[in-house]
Amino acid sequence: MSLFIAIVAGTIIAATPLVFAALGELVVEKSGVLNLGIEGMMLIGAVFAFWAVFAGLPMPVAILIGALSGAAASLIFGVLALTFMTNQYAAGLALAIFGGGVSAFIGRGFGSTPIPSLARLDIPFLSDIPVLGPMFFRFDPLVYLGLFMVVAVGWFLYRTKAGLILRTIGESPQSAHAIGQPVIRIRYMAVLFGGAMAGIGGAYLSVAYTPLWVENMTAGKGWIALALVVFSTWRPTRLLVGAWLFGGMTILQLQGQAFGLRVPSELLSAVPYLATIVVLVIISRNRQLLMLNFPASLAKPFRPSG
Amino acid sequence: MIRTSRRKFLKYGGAAGAALGLGGWANLARADEILRVGVVYVSPVSDIGWTKQHSLGVEAIRAEFGDRVELTVLDNVYNPQDAERVFRELASTNHLVFGTSFSHGTPLQRVAPRFPDVAFEHCSGIVHLDNLGTFEAKYYEGTYVAGVAAGHMSESGRIGFVGGFPIPDIVGPANALLLGAQSVNPDVTCSTIFLNSWYDPGREREAVNTLVSQGCDVICSMTDTATGVQTSGELGAWSIGYASDMSQFSDRHLTAFTLDWSSYYVDAARTVADGNWVAEEHWGGLSDGVVKMSPYNEAIPAEVQAEMDSVKAAIAAGELHPYRGELKNQDGEVVVAEGEVLSDGDIRSMVWFVEGMIGSLS
Repeated sequence: MSLFIAIVAGTIIAATPLVFAALGELVVEKSGVLNLGIEGMMLIGAVFAFWAVFAGLPMPVAILIGALSGAAASLIFGVLALTFMTNQYAAGLALAIFGGGVSAFIGRGFGSTPIPSLARLDIPFLSDIPVLGPMFFRFDPLVYLGLFMVVAVGWFLYRTKAGLILRTIGESPQSAHAIGQPVIRIRYMAVLFGGAMAGIGGAYLSVAYTPLWVENMTAGKGWIALALVVFSTWRPTRLLVGAWLFGGMTILQLQGQAFGLRVPSELLSAVPYLATIVVLVIISRNRQLLMLNFPASLAKPFRPSG
Repeated sequence: MIRTSRRKFLKYGGAAGAALGLGGWANLARADEILRVGVVYVSPVSDIGWTKQHSLGVEAIRAEFGDRVELTVLDNVYNPQDAERVFRELASTNHLVFGTSFSHGTPLQRVAPRFPDVAFEHCSGIVHLDNLGTFEAKYYEGTYVAGVAAGHMSESGRIGFVGGFPIPDIVGPANALLLGAQSVNPDVTCSTIFLNSWYDPGREREAVNTLVSQGCDVICSMTDTATGVQTSGELGAWSIGYASDMSQFSDRHLTAFTLDWSSYYVDAARTVADGNWVAEEHWGGLSDGVVKMSPYNEAIPAEVQAEMDSVKAAIAAGELHPYRGELKNQDGEVVVAEGEVLSDGDIRSMVWFVEGMIGSLS
């Protein structure tokens, strides 16, 4: 039983940085903008949050700094892609590479210095329930914040007027513009939100998950977040399921290895990716589901005219 | 030491090389020249880990030669295509060039024949040429000593090992860790996880989590970050560090098997300066101080510490060999007969698990 608890709790924790980064990107893409720079924004968020803890700032401030620095990094993409209308793929890739370099430069002095990690927040009473308590109610605050954000983003996109406008801009910016919506300004806000979320995802890595700074410590999580958005068909709850599936498969393959499963470890390491591809293929067979949620103007620059 | 960016180096390096012409290492003894040494690291120099230990070797050269040496150090060169260009440029201006990663092997093998007057040294290389020497450490001697501590300190009788890839340089030390532990408690088993990545702190953490959740209470991580040591400490498990002393990351850090390459660095520099350098294969361990044990945790009982020291001394003196038979494989078949010792060649190509290892290689 304790093994099962460890697997479930481990999955939820491992999925948390992915949930933040992918949820941010989901909102960005829903507004019709494709920002491939998640990896870079995560790294920048990670190094600044680490620096803040290192400098003795309190943990919530450090995470806020992670979010702000991620948002600042996304502004570079915003100016390039929205104001100057450069190719969004190129601008996003540039940000991903830039973020890797800048964070490595800033982090040079921090090389593998330990910091205190984000303390756990056991939910009173609930965390004492046998089995369920340790499985679901003994995490650090950011895990709960991530789950809350899934609900909040879903509510915002599908239950509020602002969410409706954002989705409209993602479908047809011309129509939104025609009825007087500030397309570029709203897209900027979406991009900044995406950057802040990626920054928190990165901060989670450097101050909570593995509380140390090492160069390029995201190790590809930004790219997995990008894939998760497609996987989720742009729906927040499915995104959470996707992140748990990916995290769960990662942990199960490690458990399998440690149990002595006589399968080559190389193959087991590929299981999370294979599982993701299989689900993607199944989803892609349902064209209607995809077309209903795919933002029609994704990655197309918008020039306000008239 | 000249610290320069790769780009700047490539820009000026070529011109400097042309101006200097072919100043070979063989001529150095005659001319009263400054020894020029180029070193290429695979990752950035941080406070701990693989590259840090190489930087200590470079420091040793500087301490030994002072003003008579000019060092050019380039870090974070991983990609083989980049590495080949970097080695070519370094070879055109230096007498002695070091590559410090397995991944530098192919580029060095291509560059070395084109610069017959330059001495090349390659850490963890497997191919050696007329002017390309290799040096490597017997990690398994360190893990065997650490295993003795693990065998005593483990209450569950289960230890865990996290490695990058299932290659001989990692599988061998994992086996020796268990053999060391079994020498004090024959029932110990060792669960292993390979990350199939040199570098992924998140997965490293999950691997340690997994091992601890399955009941392992001593974890050895042979990876490049301190994540394993840190996570073990958080979960209340003992840990064993690799390459550098990692005790600052956990108060449950039992010991680390550290690597000290300085003797190779200084010897190579000295022989090149004297004009009698030859390409050799070096493979040092506890006996010549290439592998060392970092200070033991105070929580280890004094008699266990004494036992570790005597095992260490016995290995250094050649009285104890970690791979002395009888050794059985995972399926219980005898691989090394009673009293025999695994040959060096077999150790360096070890891709099988000894009995008691839990995990899969094929």
